[in-house]
Amino acid sequence: MLSVRDVSMTYQKGKKEALKNINLEIAEGEFTALLGQNGAGKSTLINILAGNVKKTRGSVSIGGYDLDKKELETKKIIGIVPQDTGYDFVFTVDEALKKQSGYFGIKNNKAYIDEILEALYLTEKRSARIRDLSGGMRRRFLIAKALVHKPKILILDEPTAGVDIEMRHTLYDFLVKLHQFGTTIILTTHYIEEAEKLCKRIVIIDGGKIIADEPKEELMDAFSRESIIEVHFDQVLNLADFDFLSDYHPHIEDKTRLQLKASKNDLSKVFRQLSEKNMEFTNLVVERPKLEDIYLNIIKH
Amino acid sequence: MKSRIFYNRVGFTTLLNKEIHRFMKVPVQTVLAPLISNILYMLIFGGMLQTREVGIDGISYLNFLVPGLATMGAIFAAFQNPAFSMISQKFQNTIQDLNSYPISLAEKILAFVFGGMFRGVLVGILTYVATIFFVGYEVAYPIFFILSLTATSFVFASVGLIAGLVLDNFEKMNFALAIIITPLTYLGGVFFEVSKLPGFLANLIYFNPIFPLVNVSRYAYIGVCEGNIVIHVLLTMGLLISSFFVAAYIFKKGVGIKIV
Repeated sequence: MLSVRDVSMTYQKGKKEALKNINLEIAEGEFTALLGQNGAGKSTLINILAGNVKKTRGSVSIGGYDLDKKELETKKIIGIVPQDTGYDFVFTVDEALKKQSGYFGIKNNKAYIDEILEALYLTEKRSARIRDLSGGMRRRFLIAKALVHKPKILILDEPTAGVDIEMRHTLYDFLVKLHQFGTTIILTTHYIEEAEKLCKRIVIIDGGKIIADEPKEELMDAFSRESIIEVHFDQVLNLADFDFLSDYHPHIEDKTRLQLKASKNDLSKVFRQLSEKNMEFTNLVVERPKLEDIYLNIIKH
Repeated sequence: MKSRIFYNRVGFTTLLNKEIHRFMKVPVQTVLAPLISNILYMLIFGGMLQTREVGIDGISYLNFLVPGLATMGAIFAAFQNPAFSMISQKFQNTIQDLNSYPISLAEKILAFVFGGMFRGVLVGILTYVATIFFVGYEVAYPIFFILSLTATSFVFASVGLIAGLVLDNFEKMNFALAIIITPLTYLGGVFFEVSKLPGFLANLIYFNPIFPLVNVSRYAYIGVCEGNIVIHVLLTMGLLISSFFVAAYIFKKGVGIKIV
């Protein structure tokens, strides 16, 4: 569905190399998170796909169309929700969505616009000027705008930045539904838990390069080799008493909880060693690392 | 949706409608204000100088003034429409939306130029209508008069598009309007005959691109003009083609629209 091959981009201003030989293949129906720090190159990549930035090298194919040779065809396949909530001062929600449909060659799109507005809880605001909408509503309006031509690929550049938690969850539900109906989704976000909750594949960009590209479960399993094992006791602990577990980096939390870093396979060994030392514990919890921990781990290395 | 040049007819008409819809939403500012200015020019200059005959076949000054005012109105309105549209889109951070539409380059450029042209012709014709009260409705060559306003508006809509792409804020746009467009217009023969100017200035005016535009419009309105009408029509055509292609080149380069 989307193929990015050997794409590099150097901005003329400051001669900054924003992307270095990026390769990315996204299949139809995937829900991919594109993660990275500010300035990592995520927005540059999205802007190349949107036609806002001219790449320096490489090729991009969207829905089988080459971006350089069949640019206009590629536009019909993707919908972009930009990071910036820029809006037209003059038009109402309804007017702007009708015009947006027209730009994509769709003359009468009322029924579908009604459907999107309802799904995004904007029906009551259809006659309001965009400038009068709240920040969260404007974000939803931008999603509606990106969807009027029923794109096969939806690219969202930090769609929930500055949106309250309730509305964020409403948007998550909407995106999940959209994905279930077959839309390929690429999401960039700074909320890692958002990517963990929604996406099936994680791509991490750092310094203009892709440094990780895995299905979410595989990535998390690979990093789950070092789970956090927490052993709860009903007495105050002394770290020196746990020297026999030094391979698992023991650490005491709140005086009564022993934390160890170990793989799931080591769990029985830890259990046995504690039993051999007649250490009676009240509870044992194994915490899988969160995507956020994995992300930070990858970025740091 | 087939050819590369005219790819998306609905997209083109939507973009054109948006350009027209935008200025029609604020008609007092975009149409009525320039019309009132032109009527005031008519009252002040016309009132003061109405008995004066002009050196072109004894035409009255009011009749001489009407096509100049109509052309001037068309120039400012046509320039401002695309220039304001592009700069306000930059200001609103929506300019890059233009890159996401499946509309060909030619369609995008024509939509902006036609939008400005429409506003220019509208202001030009309304200026003429308003002057009927002062000078009557006779026009020597009505179709030619409308065509001359259309050509003038097309040229300045292209110039306005160039300004909108190159300039990044309203201050610079107003500066360009005040320092370049306004003096050229005032010195382009709107209010006076070139033959009345001292030698050096009379020669200089032939380098003013607005002079042929005013002159063609004047010929269409009163049937006579200063100099050779054929040459001025050819100059107008040259301006029309060159301004459009410069605008198209800048647009294609992505100046002000794409990040490079």
